[in-house]
This record gives sequence, structure tokens and C-alpha cells, in this order.
Amino acid sequence: MKDKFQEIIKKATIDIENVQSFHELNNLKSRFTGKKSEIKDFMKYLSSMTPEERPAFGKMVNDTLEEIGKLLEEAEQRLQENDYEKTIKSSQFDYTMPGRPVLRGGKHPLTLVQEQIEDVMISMGFQVAEGFDIEDDYHNFDALNTPKDHPSRNLADTFYVVKNHDEDLLLRTHTSPAQIRVMEKYKPPIKIISPGRAYRNDKFDPTHSPVFHQCEGLVVDEGISFKDLRDTIDILLKKMFGKGCKSRFRPHFFPFTEPSAEVDVSCFNCAGKGCSTCKNSGWIELFGAGMVHPNVFDMVGIDSEKYTGFAFGCGIDRIAMLKFHIPDIRMLFENDIRFLQQFTFSR
Amino acid sequence: MNISYNWLKEIIDIDLSPEELGHKLTFSGIEVESVKKTGDLLNSIIIAEIIEKEKHPEADKLSVCMVFDGDNTHQVVCGAPNCAKGQKIAFAPIGTEFPDLKLKKVKLRGVESHGMICSERELGLSDEHDGILVLPEYTKIGKNLDSVLGISDTIYEVEITPNRPDLLGMVGIARDLSAQLGLELREDFNIKQPTSQISTENDKNLSSDFCVEILETELCTRYIAARIKGVSVKASPQWLIDKLNIAEIKPINNVVDITNYVMYKYGHPLHAFDSNNVKGNKIIVRKSHPKEVFPALDNNIYSLTGNELVIADTEKTIALAGVIGGKNSHITEDTTDIILEAACFNSSLTRKTSSSLKIYTDSSYRFERGMAEKTCEIISSEATELILKLAGGALATEMIDVYPNHQKRQIIALRPERARKLLAIDISDLEIVGYMERLGLKKIQITSPNPTTDAENNNILHFEIPEFRIDLLKEIDLIEEIIRLHGFEKVKSSPEVQNIMNTGVFYTRRGIKNVFMNNGFFEAVNISFSDPIYLDMLNLAEDDNRRDTVKILNPQGESFSIMRSTLLPGLLKNTLLNLNHGADSIKLFELNKVFFEHGRGKDDTEKTDDLNKSHLPFRNEGGKNKKSKLSEKWRLTGVMAGKYNPIYWKEKIEDVSFYDVKGMFDGSLLGYIGIKNIDIVPTSEPFYLPNNGFSMIQKDAVLGSFGRLDKKVLQKFDIDCDVYVFDFDFDKIMEIADFEFSKFKEIPKYPIVYRDLSFIISEEYRINDVIKTIVAVNPKIIQFVTPFDQFKGKQIPEGFRSLSINISLVSETKTLTDEQIKNIMNSIINRLYDKFKIEMR
Repeated sequence: MKDKFQEIIKKATIDIENVQSFHELNNLKSRFTGKKSEIKDFMKYLSSMTPEERPAFGKMVNDTLEEIGKLLEEAEQRLQENDYEKTIKSSQFDYTMPGRPVLRGGKHPLTLVQEQIEDVMISMGFQVAEGFDIEDDYHNFDALNTPKDHPSRNLADTFYVVKNHDEDLLLRTHTSPAQIRVMEKYKPPIKIISPGRAYRNDKFDPTHSPVFHQCEGLVVDEGISFKDLRDTIDILLKKMFGKGCKSRFRPHFFPFTEPSAEVDVSCFNCAGKGCSTCKNSGWIELFGAGMVHPNVFDMVGIDSEKYTGFAFGCGIDRIAMLKFHIPDIRMLFENDIRFLQQFTFSR
Repeated sequence: MNISYNWLKEIIDIDLSPEELGHKLTFSGIEVESVKKTGDLLNSIIIAEIIEKEKHPEADKLSVCMVFDGDNTHQVVCGAPNCAKGQKIAFAPIGTEFPDLKLKKVKLRGVESHGMICSERELGLSDEHDGILVLPEYTKIGKNLDSVLGISDTIYEVEITPNRPDLLGMVGIARDLSAQLGLELREDFNIKQPTSQISTENDKNLSSDFCVEILETELCTRYIAARIKGVSVKASPQWLIDKLNIAEIKPINNVVDITNYVMYKYGHPLHAFDSNNVKGNKIIVRKSHPKEVFPALDNNIYSLTGNELVIADTEKTIALAGVIGGKNSHITEDTTDIILEAACFNSSLTRKTSSSLKIYTDSSYRFERGMAEKTCEIISSEATELILKLAGGALATEMIDVYPNHQKRQIIALRPERARKLLAIDISDLEIVGYMERLGLKKIQITSPNPTTDAENNNILHFEIPEFRIDLLKEIDLIEEIIRLHGFEKVKSSPEVQNIMNTGVFYTRRGIKNVFMNNGFFEAVNISFSDPIYLDMLNLAEDDNRRDTVKILNPQGESFSIMRSTLLPGLLKNTLLNLNHGADSIKLFELNKVFFEHGRGKDDTEKTDDLNKSHLPFRNEGGKNKKSKLSEKWRLTGVMAGKYNPIYWKEKIEDVSFYDVKGMFDGSLLGYIGIKNIDIVPTSEPFYLPNNGFSMIQKDAVLGSFGRLDKKVLQKFDIDCDVYVFDFDFDKIMEIADFEFSKFKEIPKYPIVYRDLSFIISEEYRINDVIKTIVAVNPKIIQFVTPFDQFKGKQIPEGFRSLSINISLVSETKTLTDEQIKNIMNSIINRLYDKFKIEMR
């Protein structure tokens, strides 16, 4: 009897060693250990045995089944390993072929710069308020303390709208009228920026466009000082151009601020050493700024004794050109995709 | 911690209702987390009189009583032996809710009983159940029982912040309330009670050589031991058990209960040892020995490390200092002599021991927050006195008080001006001193050795801090106390909120730009000037309002002579430029302003102004151009031409189609801004190829149009490829956009099932109608209906198309069975057959 078991094991060992697929393995499994297998068939002898013989016989059956089970398991592992190797071998491919392209568009460089300014200012508690492109001359000039005979009111500088009504309408020459509109409608404290379009009667050339973009800033509250203006502009500059960026204020004249200043920023291209961007001066003129003129407060009915304020303005197109090294302002308005696709991200 | 309203009233004479007191506690920094009323039962029990009593006809032990409650007479069957005519009793009418039952009308041996005459146990007053509760003769009938007994209570569960261990007892809470309310406590709990009543028995055997030795004076700063001889350990009286019930501390025996009661009253733990188990007549406070084994009261045996502080006798450890007592020395029924410990243990070591051994007790909870040394003497004498009173015995000697370094009262300097500035409140020095004194702080006079000339800095108040306020260390702590008592509501706050910005519109504008950017579009920016000829090139009718342009008085030539009223010409010029540069795929959009002069035309100026308010803070108001008839409106316009997708070796490259431009809106964009219920109808815009332009409308509002540009228009712009455009009224979109936060909808718990249908349908029917019809079959279960294939031609008869549709089904309440799905699908097919004469494939 023992020999018979040995014979089965021997046969199974050979068959199982030669197995090549999971299908074959399953077949062998049922052939050697299934219900109709030879070993299971031996169980019929059990009834003819004496109680003393039975345990030994049962143990033999079990040992044999266990032995075959082990062989089957080993074979299964071998097949799995083969399979795995095969997967690796067969998955040779050219990983340098392009991956699935993602649709890629982009915001306009002017938008990228404007959004950056907005984000920095919003983080400092400013609100964004927009004005009109088409203004009356009260808001563009008078309310901003600009004398009636001021040269900027000339047709050579300002676009006027064909007069169909009683009022004189024009295309705003700066975003400053938005200051007036905010102050007319809201009481201090006021803390706003106003980005938007402005128009001046300049011919197109590499640095001029009759249509351009500005961002205005205005703060009105009790106790606002020139230091607040410097701090605010410095924070904006450092966030826009890096921590090392410095500013310097030069005395200047604007009718609607006093004291007025022009703000230069240390050249972010050469860090102040001098290069073509800053025309070798190390500085770039970027902002107009100053403390709100008491006359302006008087025009909008804000108590200029109680309140003080500051205002500033900068050119978005100019910042975009400097930041992205764009040589010609006209490129901003051509919308050549080869141009636009260069500026998908701003920071 | 639990606070009892009644118990508080014993300590401080508050004149507040339980509700008011709860509010007061919360706003003085003792946050009430829950409120529990006890004794509600007594409120529904009525005092009544037995006006007649007869024997029950069927039962010897029962009697039938007539009970008069002042208004009505009730027949009650009573089993108590002591009930008698004329007694004032506690009557529970029908409907009374006892803890375990609601009283109903019953028949007892055939006699109806309308209520119950209660025993003390039934009322939860005591365990007495031998007979009914008989009230004194003079008790007035008709009132509820609690109005006589006054034992219903309100229990507040409060959160004590970790900086205020002084609030971990009833006295501490009362003390803080007294400062809040400006009331005196009924007695001064900060002074040791006179010990005159404590009898001292000078037993030589006990007194001679007993001592307390502190080896770790840094870790145990004070230790008071009182030894009481001859006590009888038994159950506590009811009033003491009631107090422990408030604290949710299990009563054990009178001695232990007293230590717990005094702890709960003062917030400072005590411990009692069985003196006979303290060997060597000595209490030693020392560090544990490494690997020492300690059997604790919680029936666990702990292995110590040498880092714990323990109380020991000469042989063994008898307690983990401040954490738990020992099984080897605790008070049992046989105890006669006790040692009562009131001590101060180091807070951080207590925390370490408690957390490393995972033993958390009322005691460790308090010691790890820090206890005041001063309190030891107060609790020691009160507990001693109570033990003598309730357990008998006699104090063996004067108490032993080992207190090597007397705690000095802190002195803190406060600058009233600094407090006023920091808090921004108007408060006088006098008021500040008043608040401090109510908190038990004493103002003392200290003259600065070098006075400065600065008046503000010269005004400094000095306060001596009571020992129990171990949290008051610096000036800022006093400033906090000032505002806590003064009330946060006194700090006037009315910030100016500027609502100049319309953030909804602002961020939606950005978001829309992002949507386009992420779908492969580049943003174009064109200048505002335009040429009137473009209006003709776009086929605009004579009365089209886009011809009501704003004209420039001094333009730079004809091509810059008007302000643009449409963004389309600029984008078409951009398209041409890019085509000329060989671009194979053009997707551009512009979100910008257009301008109108409303001298004539069909547009309604009034309405336009309203509309513009949605994103501009001000519009034609306030300024001088109030009557301006000009308007500036935002427009969202785009072009698509050439290839739709970038070259990819695994995929066919397709040209831009009608469905690509349509998808930008019904897919990404309108969903992004929450616009629903859009209808698409043929447009009247004149620049689309006939049958190829459509308007998107919601109700009567036209949001814009999209479609394929007319070849003839394109020719005028020199463009010779197909161009698809969209042109939307951005202001209108903003007007109907939904800026509300989306609300969470339950995610289906059951699996979604997908089924496909393919059928042939006449071309006269639109897919929208098919989808609506399918959903209508079972709108609760049919989630999405998505077409995934369509074809015409071969095998399909002329005028028909083959459609394949995917349907997703899910139920909120169950997993759908095959049978249910089959039924729904059959209904769908039948419905489609009836309505559209479909033929299944």
C-alpha cells in the first residue's frame, strides 16, 4: 500500500514540475487531490480495515495529500513568478514618446500682472473698485484739482467724445477719477485699488499706446501718513519683485496730491548695478504717489482736517513689459498666440 | 465638574434664577456645558389630606382613602399600615412620572385607585418604605411638595479651564461668583475655622513620637497630618450622601466620604489613612524605590520606578502622593484610629505619575493643575471637625504641620492706563481696585524708590494676590480679570465694513478666465477703439443697438474712430493674424468692456444701468454725469478655429466643431457659475451661418449666442477657414449667476447601475426630448441619461438615425434588484416607443 502512495507522489512530482500554465495546474490539482482522484479512491479500502489499521492508513492518505499540495503550491508560485517576469519583459516600450498632451491656454500677461497686484493689495485689506472708461471732465480733471487751463486737457492729449449731450465727456486719461467716485459714494475709512483702462492721445510706438492700463490706489482714514504710503508701496514692490527690492521717492508734481512723489524701484533685472532695462541708472520709475490734496477732499465733502489719505498709481502695461522683458507695448494688443503662450504663469 | 445651585446658595446668597445663574457662570469664564434639573418629581406631587379612610372590601391589608387636594377629591387604594384619616400626605395624581413608571388609573382588587399616596422611598427622599410620608399637621394642602421641602436642584456641568484649579471646588466657584456679582460669601472660607470645638486628647501613647518627615521638600511643599483616635466608621448621613451624589462620587463610609466632601467643597484633595496600619509612628514623604510594588486602592498592584513621590511609613509605601491611596492602609469598617492628610504635591510630577501609571483620580486631576499651600490648613481643620462630629473620636494631638517654606503672597504691579489702552474701555482706577478687591486681591501701598516724571507710568497700583489664585502671575493676568468682571460687551466694537467690492463678480471673472485657460484658450486683449466698417462686415441691421456707438471727437483716424460695441471684430482680426502666422489651432477669448451710446435704438437704458450695478460699485450716480446715456457693459466673446486637440500619436486629431463651442457653455462654464434651466434656440444674430447659430436663453433673458460664423462674413475678414464663435452678455450672466455656497447632497449609499439602449429614431426628434422622456419614467432613480453614440447611413433608413444612450440608475434607499431594473428599462422602452416610434436595435 505504501508503495502505491509513493508511486502517486512520484507521478505527481513529474507532472507538476512540467506544468506550464495555470490551466494545466488546475487540471493536475483535481486529478491528484480532487474528489475523483486516485487517493480519494483509496478511501474505499478504509471500510475493510480493522480499527487498528485505520489510523495509520488515514495518516498515509493525509501525508500524501499534503505532499502533493506542497508541490502544487510551489508550482503555482513558479508560474506566478514566470508570469511576472513575462510582464516585465513584454513591457518594453519607448518611454520617450510624448505623453497625452493637456489642453494648455493662458491668461494675458496684463491680466497676470493685474491679478498679482490685486492679490497683494487684497491681502493688505484693500478692496477692488472699478471706474468708468468714459468719464466727464469733472471727475477726470476738476475734482482732481486740475486747473481749467491745464495743458493735459488739450485735444492733443485727451480723447473727447462727440458731444450729443449737455456734458463734456472724455476717455479718462488716468484711473484717478475712480478715487473721486469712491469718495463721493463711501465714507472713510476707504482702502481701495482701481485697476482699469486709460486713454491718452499718443501715437502707437514701442513704448506708447493710446490705450493702456493703470492701477490706482487710495486710502483715506484718520491718521494716515506719508509713512503709510511708503510702507504700502514697499510691500507691494517686495511682493511683486522680490524681498531685495528697494524704492526711492523723488519730489514731483501732481495736482491732486501734496506732497507728491515719483517712486523709483531698484532695477529688478540687474539689482541696481545698471543694465539696459534701467538705462544704466539702477532705478526704474514705476509709481506716481502722494498724500491726497485737501482740495480733493473738499470737492467730495470729506473733512480734510479729520481725515488724511494717500493715493498712488502705476502702469500695468509698463510693469508687464519690465517683468516679462517685453520690448514693444504693441505686442500686448496683437494677441499672437506665439506671444500669448509664453506667459501662462506669473510667479 | 458638577455644580449644584442649592449648594452654591449655601455658600453665597445669590438672588438669581437657575437660568440666570447658568448664563452668569458661562460669561464669567465657567462654561456651562449642560444643565440637569433634579427633583422634578416633587414638583408634580401634591400635598393633600386623607378625609376618609375605609377598609378595602376584598383585601385586609389595603384601605380605600378619599384624598382631598384642595380642589378635588380622589379615591385612592393604599397599602400602608400607617395611613389614617386627617393626615397630610404626599399625593401623586394620575399621570405623575416616576423614574420607572407613569402613574395610571388602576383597579386594585376591584376598587379603582386614582393616584397614589407616596412613601419617602417612592419620592426618592430616602430608603424609608415602611409607610407613607406623613407631613406635619400645619402643612397647607394643594401646594406641590417641593414648595415645602425645597430640595429640587439644578446641576450645571461646567468646564473649568486648566489655569483655574481654584475653581475645582464649590467654594472657588462661589468666590468667583461673589466677585462677578459683588456679593459677600456667607463666611470667609479663606480663614481656618476656629478649632475651639476640637477636643484634644493628650494620649501619651499616640502623641509622643509620631512625626512627619518630608524628604522631598521641592515636591511636597506642605504636609498637615491630623490624628483622630476612636472613630466609628459607618455609613454617612443622608445630607453628606446627597452632596456626594451631586459630585457623582460614590459614598463609601463616613470618613472617606468626609474627605471627598471637603475636597469637592474646597477643590483640594485629602486622604485618610488607617493609623494602625501606618508603622513606625511616622509618615515619610519620599521618592519611591525602584521596582517597589505598591497595592493601590483600585485593586491594582503597581510597580514603581523610583521617580514617583510616595507617602510611606517606616516599612512600606502607603500612598502615591496626590494620586491614589494604598490598599495596605485604607479606612475599613474596623478602622478606629486615622491619620488625615492635607498636603501640597508638585503638579508636574503628579501629572507624570498619573499618566505613566494610567491612574486618573479626582485627586490627581486637581493636584496636576496645582493646589495652594494655604488651603491645606483650612481643609484639614474642616475635615477634622466633621469627622469628630460624624464619626466621633478625639483629636490625638495638635495637628502636625510640616511647612518648610511658607508660601508668600505675590505682589503684582498694575498700570491702570495700560489696562484702559489694551482693552479700549473707559474704566476708572477706582473701579479697577473694586474689581480686584472683589477677587480677594488686596491693594497695598508701595512707593517707587525712583519716581519718574512720566505721570502715566507713575500711576501704578500694587496688589497682593490671595494664595489660591496661583494663575495670577503678571500684570496682564490682572488685566484679563478686569475685563472678565467688566464684561466683554463693554468693549465697544462697531467696525466700518466697506462693501465697495463685489467679490462675487470679481472672483467669477477670474474663475471664468481660469476655466477658459484650462480648456486651451488664450486670453486676448484688444484696444477699445474700433472701425465702424466692422459693424457692416458683421451684417448688423440698421437698428441694431451695437450701431449706437460712442464716437471719438478727435480720433487717430477712421479705424480708431468709435469705442467698440462688440468684441468680435478684434478677435477675428487676431484670428487672421494667427492664421497668417501658420497657427493650426486658434482658441481665443476676451472678457472686456463694450460701449454704447443710447441716443436711439431699442435698448432700454434704465434697465442697463441696473444691470451694471451688479459689478461696478457705482454707476452714473453721485457724480455730475447723472443723466449720461452712455453705458459700459462687460462682454465675454471667443473664437475657435483649426484643430481642436493638439497632435497626439495615439489619437486622431479633429477639427473644431459645433459641439466643441457648445460644450464650453453647457459643460464647463454655466455649471461653474451655477446657471441652470438654459434653453437653446435658433438665434437672430446676423453673422452666423444660417441654421448654425443659436442663442442661450433663460426665461426671457438672452445670455448670448454661439455657433458657426457665416462664410460670407469670414470672407470679409479675409478668413478662409471655419470659425466657431461665442458672444455672451457677461453682465446678464452675472445677474442670474448663483453665488450661494453649494449645499452638500447625500452621496448615494447604494451602487449605481449602468444600462445601455440603442435604437433607431426619426431625425425629427431632438435628444433633449428623449432624455426628458426617459427621466420622467422614474426621476428618483434615473440619475443621468448620456448619449454615447449616433450614426446615420448604411442600414439606417433615410431620415432616421441610430442613437445609443447610457442610463445610470441608483436608489437612495436600497440596492436595485435585476427585476426592478428590468421593469424600469421596459417602461423606458415602451414610453420611447409610444412617443418617438423608436425601433430597438
